[in-house]
Amino acid sequence: MINPNKLFLNFKNTILTKYGPNPAKMLIYTGVLGWFLSSAAQVVAIAVNDKIPKEQKMFLIPQEISDGAINVLSFFLVTSAIKNFSSKLVSTGKLANPKIREFLSKTGLNVEKGLGQTKFNIESMANYDVIKDEYKSFKNGVDVIGMTLGSILSCNIITPVLRNKYAADRQQKNLAQLNKLEQERLKSPRGISMDTYQKYAAMKFSNRSSSNLKI
Amino acid sequence: MAALGLNKLLDLSFSRSYDKFDRKATQIGLDLCGGRKKLLTISSPKTNDALSWIGKNLSSAENRLILGASALMTQPFIDAANKDVDSETRKISICRTIAKILAGTFTGYSIRKLCIKSIDSFTKSPDEILPNMKFKKFRSLLLPGLKYTADELSQYKNALGTLLALGVMIFTNFLIDAPLTKFLTNLFANKGGVNDKSK
Repeated sequence: MINPNKLFLNFKNTILTKYGPNPAKMLIYTGVLGWFLSSAAQVVAIAVNDKIPKEQKMFLIPQEISDGAINVLSFFLVTSAIKNFSSKLVSTGKLANPKIREFLSKTGLNVEKGLGQTKFNIESMANYDVIKDEYKSFKNGVDVIGMTLGSILSCNIITPVLRNKYAADRQQKNLAQLNKLEQERLKSPRGISMDTYQKYAAMKFSNRSSSNLKI
Repeated sequence: MAALGLNKLLDLSFSRSYDKFDRKATQIGLDLCGGRKKLLTISSPKTNDALSWIGKNLSSAENRLILGASALMTQPFIDAANKDVDSETRKISICRTIAKILAGTFTGYSIRKLCIKSIDSFTKSPDEILPNMKFKKFRSLLLPGLKYTADELSQYKNALGTLLALGVMIFTNFLIDAPLTKFLTNLFANKGGVNDKSK
């Protein structure tokens, strides 16, 4: 039988062991989840908004979905890659503070003996416990900075550039489709009132911009 | 069976190739940092103190704030430089981007901060529980069952608080974020004189 107390304790212990020693990892996972939820809310908000015409919803909803998808994907790929690289800088001994460097020198390690190589990992050293606290504190700081820089690059530079490109393409396609429909109606205006005919005619000859589809 | 074996083999060979590529790419990156034979040491005590402080104290709330501030410095300019759309669309796009960043950062930061604070109130060790505290019985409710260091406990509180915030944000994204984004978009568009029928 399921014991809720045991489940709750296991949950707390998992959070402690998984994220306690590695805050940057937690920031990545919760960041991705956060972006996903935020995009879902924006999509629903557009979908249920009566004031937005159907034609614009056709553009805005795919735009929001692509925004969320690109955001989540670039966050996972770029941010994770930069965070992992920051971790490697420290774990291989390429980047260190004076205390860690002194510890590594005392053990007789240098570039020729593997420091700065991906195969080397300080955490696998036999006497790792001597430097563990100092190392963890330094590594967490570097990890969080790497993760933050990666987030800025992915969410604030890569995503908006790609999103704008995609949204502009969609807008062009939708506008072309709308224009085609209107022109077909103008060619055979039977079955419509004079008012509607005049409206279509005015639309055709007015200098239209694509601004009726808003981002 | 044979197909299953082949699939497994392909998976394995892909995974090995990816690992190899990942290791090589990381090594090139490491070598590019100051040169192959050079090791880098951060000797400034102030920088090392700052790194240590960031590792211990920068929670998801502060991270969201940093992302929001940097988003304000980049995203509106990226939208403004988007020549693939007409000027009206560009203007409303800038208004919506700024509105989205402000609404998202405001709710994201405050909810994460509040949730982390709430978790902190219920992860007190017995010696931290004062006689005048309310709900004494529940103050240690969220403490983990394993041994931990002070730093690990602090990160645990941040992680638990952030998870709680994500749960809360399922609702606030709809109730606060989206309407606030709409309100601010309209406000900025009106102030900026954007002629938008769809606001």
